[in-house]
Amino acid sequence: MRTVRVWFSKTGRAIYISHLDLMRCMTRAARRARIPVWYTQGFNARAYMTFALPLSLGISGLKESMDLRLEHEMENAEVCARLDAALPPDIHVFAVTDPVMKPGAIAYASYQLKIPSPAPEAQCEQVRALFATDPLFVEKRSKHGPLQMNLHPELRDTTVSAAEDSLQIDALLAAGGNFNLNPSLLLQCIERALFPVPEVTIVRTGLWNADKKPFQ
Amino acid sequence: MGGELNSVMKDKKDVEVRFAFCFPDTYEVGMSHLGMKILYSALNTKDWLWCERVFAPWLDMEEQMRRAHVPLYALESGDSLEDFDIIAFTLQYEMSYTNVLNMLDLSGIPLLAKDRPSLEHLVVAGGPCVCNCEPLTDFVDLFFLGEGEEVDLEVCELYRACKREHRSKLEFLEQAAQIPGVYVPAFYEVTYHEDGTVQAITPTHGAPARVKKRLLLDMDQAFYPDKFVVPYLEIVHDRVVEEVFRGCIRGCRFCQAGFLYRPVREKSPEVVDAQCRALCESTGYDEITLSSLSTSDYSQLQPLLDRMTQWTKPGKVSISLPSLRVDGFDQDLLDKIKTVRRSGLTFAPEAGTQRLRDVINKNVTQEELLDTVTKAFRGGWSTIKLYFMIGLPTETLDDVRGIADLGQQVVDAYYACQDKPRGKGLKVTVSASAFIPKPFTPFQWEPQDTMEQMREKQKALSHAVHSRKITAHWHDASTSFIEAVFARGDRRLGPVLLEAHRLGCKMDGWEDGFSLEKWLTAFQNCGVDPAFYANRRRSFEEVLPWDHMDYGVRKEFLIAECKCAYAAQTTPNCREACSACGAAQYGGGICYADR
Repeated sequence: MRTVRVWFSKTGRAIYISHLDLMRCMTRAARRARIPVWYTQGFNARAYMTFALPLSLGISGLKESMDLRLEHEMENAEVCARLDAALPPDIHVFAVTDPVMKPGAIAYASYQLKIPSPAPEAQCEQVRALFATDPLFVEKRSKHGPLQMNLHPELRDTTVSAAEDSLQIDALLAAGGNFNLNPSLLLQCIERALFPVPEVTIVRTGLWNADKKPFQ
Repeated sequence: MGGELNSVMKDKKDVEVRFAFCFPDTYEVGMSHLGMKILYSALNTKDWLWCERVFAPWLDMEEQMRRAHVPLYALESGDSLEDFDIIAFTLQYEMSYTNVLNMLDLSGIPLLAKDRPSLEHLVVAGGPCVCNCEPLTDFVDLFFLGEGEEVDLEVCELYRACKREHRSKLEFLEQAAQIPGVYVPAFYEVTYHEDGTVQAITPTHGAPARVKKRLLLDMDQAFYPDKFVVPYLEIVHDRVVEEVFRGCIRGCRFCQAGFLYRPVREKSPEVVDAQCRALCESTGYDEITLSSLSTSDYSQLQPLLDRMTQWTKPGKVSISLPSLRVDGFDQDLLDKIKTVRRSGLTFAPEAGTQRLRDVINKNVTQEELLDTVTKAFRGGWSTIKLYFMIGLPTETLDDVRGIADLGQQVVDAYYACQDKPRGKGLKVTVSASAFIPKPFTPFQWEPQDTMEQMREKQKALSHAVHSRKITAHWHDASTSFIEAVFARGDRRLGPVLLEAHRLGCKMDGWEDGFSLEKWLTAFQNCGVDPAFYANRRRSFEEVLPWDHMDYGVRKEFLIAECKCAYAAQTTPNCREACSACGAAQYGGGICYADR
């Protein structure tokens, strides 16, 4: 019995699939693909499956990770090919590796936000100035209700740039079990202080550990 | 949400006929419907035809769509219903009629058939409610009677030819009306007596005097999909559904399906087994339902389960059997279905006293029920659900109180059962729905209890329950009342439906959608008395609005059955003896089996 790390992307229409639905979808895909997944031994046996960091609804993921436990041996490349072939079109498995780090090692996630803009240069300056404000209070939802927090120190690795007809934000935000920041907080900030941002696309580009090395 | 696994994508440039299969309820409900899965796959086997799925948006989604001017669209292409040639609805229950209108409205397609003069946007419908579709005849151009696998395709072929040759809608409909199983309501004139009852139904345009339902005789050869669309989100029946037979041997007198789907036609266990295997492989589901109107009546159930458990057990696939009869249950079956997962057990005695169970021809005794639940308790089950109806013909308050008594006897049987394993404790649910007289049943002439009578009986039931182990539920009387009106309605209900739609009636099968007040306003505005349809006793001589529909069962048989009911006389099931209902005219199925 060994654990493999499955790397997949979730884009297009699949961004509207919730985490729970994704788990169901993956379980069925593994069955169709005849991957020897180990089942939990409880009364209601479930396929053993761990997602490193669930993705919020509406966000694309380019390098998402899920751990599977195999009951019998199957080569990583075969798990990858079979699982990919059994998945719906907008969910794509591109690699299966042996886990190097524990899922708990994840400390950051990188995001790219694209905001359509009539005046990218000017708005870019506005957002930069806003992000430089200290303190920069936002309302974060938590288990204990809404929480006021200062976003400024969390934006050390965030850059804002202007493209042809949009504004682009590249952010490396705290992620993981202890402290997790949703990129929508940045948008909340902009909407409160500057202008409305109706049609943003958000892509999670990768997962990182505390040393800002790629999660493996 | 489109883009699911196994959904069929085609290039619209390559297809000649675009067919929108509309389920007039939510995605979660519609995606669970087996008929849609079968027809979706069957129609898509033709490369000139593209069948796509459309569902009714939930109330909040509809509000957003209307606000943003997004028309109702099909899940595969994302195209508006306006882009389709044929817009097909499946009519599973009367309370979805307003959704049919609302879905057309959301796509900007004229609701009334007469406002759609050309061949495009042909609105058709199938499903059990077609047996009396008169309330919908203002809106729908063509109906399919019976099983659709063949007739739907025949109509699509004709449509394809007519579209190519630029025929008019009238020319198409005239030819379509000649296809067996097709009902074109515009070709029938209905006249009424002064008392409001139907005088005559006269065919025109060469349409047949009676339209006969279609059915498939050889279930082993019948088309069955090897793939189901696998949804992302959880639907009501989220599993492989395998049909083991059509029809029902029983002939319970309240049950429309029991008469509409005659005669019983079984699949062989080999075919069922192979189809289940293929579906598990293509979908990845780990649960199979063996579906039919009464699965424990499948003559090959044991051999089938023996065969299936050989691969389902090692593959961690569970098998569930819905529609179990109290008398079709033994220890062996019990052991088989609890191999993987265990849920509660549900039985439907339907009535609380033996007399009333004889009236409805349920043919289940109290001893059988208690015997079965005791077996179940021994097998470790402790959650039992019992389904009943209130408002059945000849029912008295004693019969209603009998429901609670029967529940109490189940509780007593639990405590009397010594050798049961220790469990979570007993839970008995008695659920009472309201009886709704339906066409093509021996009770089609019966009045429905008024809402006041029903509420009184519900009160009597709740007062008769004395144990904390028993939970009693009942259905809302007002929904059942509107359902009864439309079940046996005629063409004069068309304007009422339109008015109800205008007043905002939709999702009437849901508590969040239904409004009795709006419905009563609609009846009032149209000058139609709903009690005429729901609460009136009809005479056997009266011309019924659905008399031009032929489902194979003779009216004389239904009258004889009704008289047996009044005498509390039961009728043997189709396997015991033939009662000459008329279904033998189809030339197959159980009518020709050795007894």
